[in-house]
Amino acid sequence: MMQTTDAAPAMEAAVPATPGPLLDIEALSKSFGGVRALNDVSFCLGRGEILGLIGPNGSGKTTSFNVLTGLYRPDGGKVLFDGGNITGNAPQAVYRAGIARTFQRSRLCLELSIFDNIMVGNHARLNQGLIFNLFNRKAFRLEVESALEEATALAASFSPFLAERMFAPVGALPMIERRRIEICRALISRPKLLLLDEPSAGMTHEETHQLMDDILAVRDRQGGLSIIIIEHEMGVIERVSDSCVVLNYGEKIAEGSYQDVASDRQVQEAYLGSA
Amino acid sequence: MRAFILRLPPLAAAALAFGLGLVYAVVFMEQESDVAVISLVAFAAVAAFAAGRIGLIRRASLAAGTHPGAVAAMGGCMALALIAVFAEDHFPLLMLATVMLYATAALGLNVQFGYTGVVNFAGAAFFGIGAYTSAELIGKSVLPPVLVLPLGGLIAAVIGLVLVFPVVRTRGHYAAVVTIAFSVLFKTFLEVNDTLGGPQGQSVGPVTLPGWSFADGPVVFGVETSFYLNYALAALLVLGLAFVMVRRLERSWIGLALDAVRLDETASACYGIPIRRAKILAFVAGNLIIGVAGALYGSMLGYVAPTSFTFSDSLILVAIVLLGGMGSPWGTILAAAIVVILPEKLQAIQEYRFLLFSVVVMAILLFRPEGLLPRAVRRYLPVPQNEEAA
Amino acid sequence: MDLLGQYLVNGIMLGTIYALVAVGFTLFFGVLDVIKFSHGDVLMVGAFAGFTAALGAAALGFTNPFVQLAASVLFAVSGTALLGAAIAKWLILPLKNAPRLNILLITLMLGTALRESVRLFYPDGSNPKAFPALLPSTAWQFGNFTLRADSALLVIAGIAVIVGLHMLINRTRLGLAIRAVAQDEETARTMGINYTLIVLVTFALGSGIAAVAGVMNGLYYNEVNFGMGLLLGLIGFSAAIIGGLGNLYGAILGGFLFAALQMIGAVALPFASAYKDVFAFAVVIALMGWKPTGLIPERSSERV
Repeated sequence: MMQTTDAAPAMEAAVPATPGPLLDIEALSKSFGGVRALNDVSFCLGRGEILGLIGPNGSGKTTSFNVLTGLYRPDGGKVLFDGGNITGNAPQAVYRAGIARTFQRSRLCLELSIFDNIMVGNHARLNQGLIFNLFNRKAFRLEVESALEEATALAASFSPFLAERMFAPVGALPMIERRRIEICRALISRPKLLLLDEPSAGMTHEETHQLMDDILAVRDRQGGLSIIIIEHEMGVIERVSDSCVVLNYGEKIAEGSYQDVASDRQVQEAYLGSA
Repeated sequence: MRAFILRLPPLAAAALAFGLGLVYAVVFMEQESDVAVISLVAFAAVAAFAAGRIGLIRRASLAAGTHPGAVAAMGGCMALALIAVFAEDHFPLLMLATVMLYATAALGLNVQFGYTGVVNFAGAAFFGIGAYTSAELIGKSVLPPVLVLPLGGLIAAVIGLVLVFPVVRTRGHYAAVVTIAFSVLFKTFLEVNDTLGGPQGQSVGPVTLPGWSFADGPVVFGVETSFYLNYALAALLVLGLAFVMVRRLERSWIGLALDAVRLDETASACYGIPIRRAKILAFVAGNLIIGVAGALYGSMLGYVAPTSFTFSDSLILVAIVLLGGMGSPWGTILAAAIVVILPEKLQAIQEYRFLLFSVVVMAILLFRPEGLLPRAVRRYLPVPQNEEAA
Repeated sequence: MDLLGQYLVNGIMLGTIYALVAVGFTLFFGVLDVIKFSHGDVLMVGAFAGFTAALGAAALGFTNPFVQLAASVLFAVSGTALLGAAIAKWLILPLKNAPRLNILLITLMLGTALRESVRLFYPDGSNPKAFPALLPSTAWQFGNFTLRADSALLVIAGIAVIVGLHMLINRTRLGLAIRAVAQDEETARTMGINYTLIVLVTFALGSGIAAVAGVMNGLYYNEVNFGMGLLLGLIGFSAAIIGGLGNLYGAILGGFLFAALQMIGAVALPFASAYKDVFAFAVVIALMGWKPTGLIPERSSERV
């Protein structure tokens, strides 16, 4: 199912290669059996923008992430990212193009340490050569040291607790810390676009807001990071998003600022209808 | 006692553990009667439990983190000392060398399913491919016998490539059926193939170096040693190499990618890890290691026959990995020693060994899935001294 | 012509046995998403149970072959069903939340334990046993081609079991519950289905069917031996996979396909018939590389 892409050029720093939007999704469609999970969905995301992707359960939000990141192959439509066409690319290629994601249900490697989990996200920037890894241990040592420093600094910006125990297994940590590790894993490679799939799931109101503040702080430091966030907690969307796209039954039913879509009659019906 | 152990520097604790192990191993190997062997096994169980209670094992394993090189060297010295003690005796040396070669093969399996999650139930078949390579090439071709050993690994890896496509394209249980089928058919194939010796098998020549044949025991300090001394030393060298390489692999970015593939293929793909390449690398590297061990084993035994490389033998290799602890190289070596030596010393259970070890592994899976010496969290570099207490 | 006919009957016979084994794999995979690799050895235990019962009935003075046969099948099926349920309860369900590999491993080891136990502890267990001929030895002659009554009866019995299973799964409340659990464990639980019970019953059912296959195999070859389960289990597993794990009809198709491959390997190919299994498995391995999810694909259940 997975396709391999063997060429592994290190990810470039976010240099705006081409003008225009960072992400341009055109008429994306995806069906499972007879069910149209995504039907002709189009939207754009500018550089540095935060877009809230909202809609009732089963409206196609996560499916759109899965199509975007190459886990599912779209039936129709195009995904243009940073001047290139990434439609139907393998997940590995999508990641190398500069898109990193988190998952709705935590997908950390519980047996591995915090550092290991963050380094999984850093795959493209680490030297994967067989000779380097097995025989050039001196150079490897330097790379580990600098990677550890970077990962610890990133973890510290979310939680000093994590930064103090980079070699503790993830399995023993509470949900909030795991969520933070997942986000560190996505951010460590300095992606151009971050896809957050319900970061608030399993967390309290305060924890969610804290987490969003931390993400925004990292974003300010890294510069130029764009975000698409799927979220049920509307307070979060209202606070962080520059614009919103509303999906219902796989179709886009509204688009605009949070205030605009929140007052949209169709949107209100969609939410009330599904409640 | 506990207080004393806790004040011991980890390296000293490790030295103590290896020293006790050495004394025990020498005493154990000397025993002839079943009663003595059984008492010593019971004593080992109690002693291991006690060592755990007073913190010796924990303390010693700290050293494996802070001074991995020194601990590995101690292990090597312990093996050398054992070999030296029994330098004149065929049987103990044969047993030691067998332990080391089985441990090497199990390290190869560890790369495959301990780290990467690629199951291989044909371990004995790849071991056998190495052994049959020795049988066909040592003394019967122009190749210098010592070159046949790496060639045995290469051939095992190449034949493994036939299976790699279905193994890599599919997940877990499908790879199981492919390798099990290969394992079962490998024996059938050997039995019906007359050029390879058929059911009786064939003899294998000794490894030779210029001016040195492994068929003769070297005279060391005027002492005539067993010819198995050559093989025990060669086995130690092969095991040492495999151990160092597997450790380095584990403590590298590649090792991390292999773990990630085992634990979550979807997330790995989304973070750029080439799933197929990781699985192919693990499968090929594992078979290579297994094949080299098999090539030396074949030459050491002096004959190969299909009955030595059955599916049940493959399961014994799997049992070694599980008993020691998946992904734990030290555990693998310990488990290989238990699984190989116990039935040899206790002839009464020789007949029951497949039953015994399958039941032991079932118990391990149910009650202690992390194995005897659980794998430690990956530290890429030696742990800083000041962190050791954490 | 007559040789070809014999091969055909032989192929149908083996296909039926393989299908019965494969159906078990597919049932277990359906309800629990697990591979129970000890299945072949459970079959072997069933065959030995049947063998013992047949001898026991004879020893008790029941010389009528039909009584012996009934005792044999009854004892084999009920004993094996219990064994299957016990395996599910004490080995598989406790490991349900462990990595899936562990269940495969524990059942592999259990298979070895069963195989070795029979070899070591059954009287003279390491040698093959002659299974008594309990079926009528009548034969019908069609030109050059001989059809033996016992073969015909075995095939009919096997097909009857498959049809019966089909009815059970599709027409009864129990079948409905099994299908519900296979669809979605959580939903089935909320609908008030006793999940553990259904899992145990499914394992008993699949194992009982394996015992039928084991007794059939004994009657057909007039022999049982401790190692028979390994290859039969492997073939059943392969058949279930090439048909598409989790799909009942795929398993049946896979069983007959595997038998057909063996027959082709034995008849049509230029090398020794000892290679027929090598050929059949080689094709199966190639098929798996080509269609990893089987001819009738299993549903993909992973949520992202």
